[in-house]
Amino acid sequence: MEHMAALPNEKKRFPWIAIIRWLVLVIVLVFTLMPLVFMISASFMTSRQIVRMPFSWIPNPIHLENYVKAFQGNDMSWIFPRNILNSLIVSITVAITTVFIAAITGYGLAKFRFRGRNFVFMAIMATMMIPFEAIMIPLYMVATGLRLQDSYIGLILPFLVSAFGVFQMRQYLTTFPTEFLDASRVDGLHEFWIFWRIVFPNCTPVIATLGILSFRGQWDNLLWPLLITQSEKMKTIPLYITKFSEEKLTDEGAMMAVAMMASIPMFVLFAALSKYFIGGAAVYESRKG
Amino acid sequence: MKIKIRKSTYIGIEKIEARWGFYFTIPAILFFSVFSFYPIINAFYTSLFDKMTLSLAKPKFMGLGNYIYILKSADFWNSIRATFIFTLGTFVPIVVISLLLAVFIMMVSRKKVRGFLQIAYYTPAVISSVVAAAIWMLMMDPRGLANQLLNFIMNTPGTDHKWLADATMVQLSTMIIYFWKYIGYFVVLFITGLASIPPTIFEAAVIDGSNRWNTFWRITLPLLKPTVVLVSIMAMLQCLKTFSTQYLLFQGGAPKDPINVITLNIYTTGIRNQRIGRASAMSIVLFLIMLLFTWLQFRTSKTEEVEY
Repeated sequence: MEHMAALPNEKKRFPWIAIIRWLVLVIVLVFTLMPLVFMISASFMTSRQIVRMPFSWIPNPIHLENYVKAFQGNDMSWIFPRNILNSLIVSITVAITTVFIAAITGYGLAKFRFRGRNFVFMAIMATMMIPFEAIMIPLYMVATGLRLQDSYIGLILPFLVSAFGVFQMRQYLTTFPTEFLDASRVDGLHEFWIFWRIVFPNCTPVIATLGILSFRGQWDNLLWPLLITQSEKMKTIPLYITKFSEEKLTDEGAMMAVAMMASIPMFVLFAALSKYFIGGAAVYESRKG
Repeated sequence: MKIKIRKSTYIGIEKIEARWGFYFTIPAILFFSVFSFYPIINAFYTSLFDKMTLSLAKPKFMGLGNYIYILKSADFWNSIRATFIFTLGTFVPIVVISLLLAVFIMMVSRKKVRGFLQIAYYTPAVISSVVAAAIWMLMMDPRGLANQLLNFIMNTPGTDHKWLADATMVQLSTMIIYFWKYIGYFVVLFITGLASIPPTIFEAAVIDGSNRWNTFWRITLPLLKPTVVLVSIMAMLQCLKTFSTQYLLFQGGAPKDPINVITLNIYTTGIRNQRIGRASAMSIVLFLIMLLFTWLQFRTSKTEEVEY
């Protein structure tokens, strides 16, 4: 498409299309970035400054105490750090298990010919059609039956691996050269070590996109923690935000400070690994293939 | 037959291989049986009973009673309406505008600017949906930024547009929040689709004297059709499952009925009111709706193959 930038038959005319194009691009740019800038500046303001008309984008004076309020909470319980820790534990564990189990399953499905392989693959793909929202009630009943409410295991268990992850790994590993595997077999390397030492280290692009996708999924997850946690100390960040925003005493500036604390880890990850984020979106595209 | 011939040639290694391939998939097979297949079967089974969470009495079998109940209940039909209005009002603008933006971005000749725009548009997709709702709730406060901006644009000083209080406006607000969060994500999907069209085709069009307008409608769009169909259905499926935005707005004091989407209704019926049987029936209805769209996706992606 970039080749179209230099179409010869449009050079003479007044560049209306280019002007409209840039106008649209800039308006959308303002629309996407404005709420984020609002969050950043409001997190340094008092409630009164936030609702002042017209809104002043640069906080003056800067109020850092919002961040203190965010951490201590309205009831001075200082539960927010614990909730951040919970979110980190759940998200990191899920990212690791998803990557590992998806890789080993994808490897099994891509590089071995065993009876029922296609059936297993189709069955795993079929689970992509089951939305979590439709099975949350039975899962909740199973989890309460096993007394897993209010535990890390309860929070993590339903998300150990994703069907989409298996699919991605399988697609990636189908092109993995079989000669390497056979060479290692001749050398007498155990099948598991072949996977762990030779196959797994060579999946880095998928490991990165899948790891980010799963981490983000849990960082963002509201529904399941809402069902499964009871005590404040087992709650995750989305639940803390929900609770904090409901409370009457809540200060808007502190609310935005909480939002900032929830977003900073994602911003840092995004800044460092943006190509895998965007690549992660793009792999959905390959599902048609 | 083919398989038999292969087996007789490589009998040893094949068997060992086969066994290990199966072992490697066991954890996933177990996982998906317990956490996907069992629950959906269980949801169907439970939907046939009059089951309550804390009730000690044995749940009574009632056949399709729960389905008949929800199909007669105005509350459930309201949820269907809310879900479909939200889905239509969100995915159509998302698909159309993200396609437009993707084409516009690809026309930018400087690579760095293209990269910057993609990343900037994508940033809201990085933050969590709860945070997105929290930011917009504050902006849509009666004294907030949304009113100030709209009044500035429409020249109606001092008007409160009731973003979170009015029944129509609150539906629009959920759509805006969702649109804001996911627009960049879909722009990236379309850019990937556009980038996979070989540039020689555009060069050929230019040599043949096609202008931009014709090139877009006659070449880009037809070649991009599979991506458009796929992305539309993906966006639709995602919108049908929406929960966080509506939940947060409702908890924050917005009127419930206009934004009481199916997922929110399942949550309130099953968890808050403890009517597990009824909630399971709703879950099955949601599952069937999404299955229908997934089936459509498979059908269209099969028939819409494009050759460059």
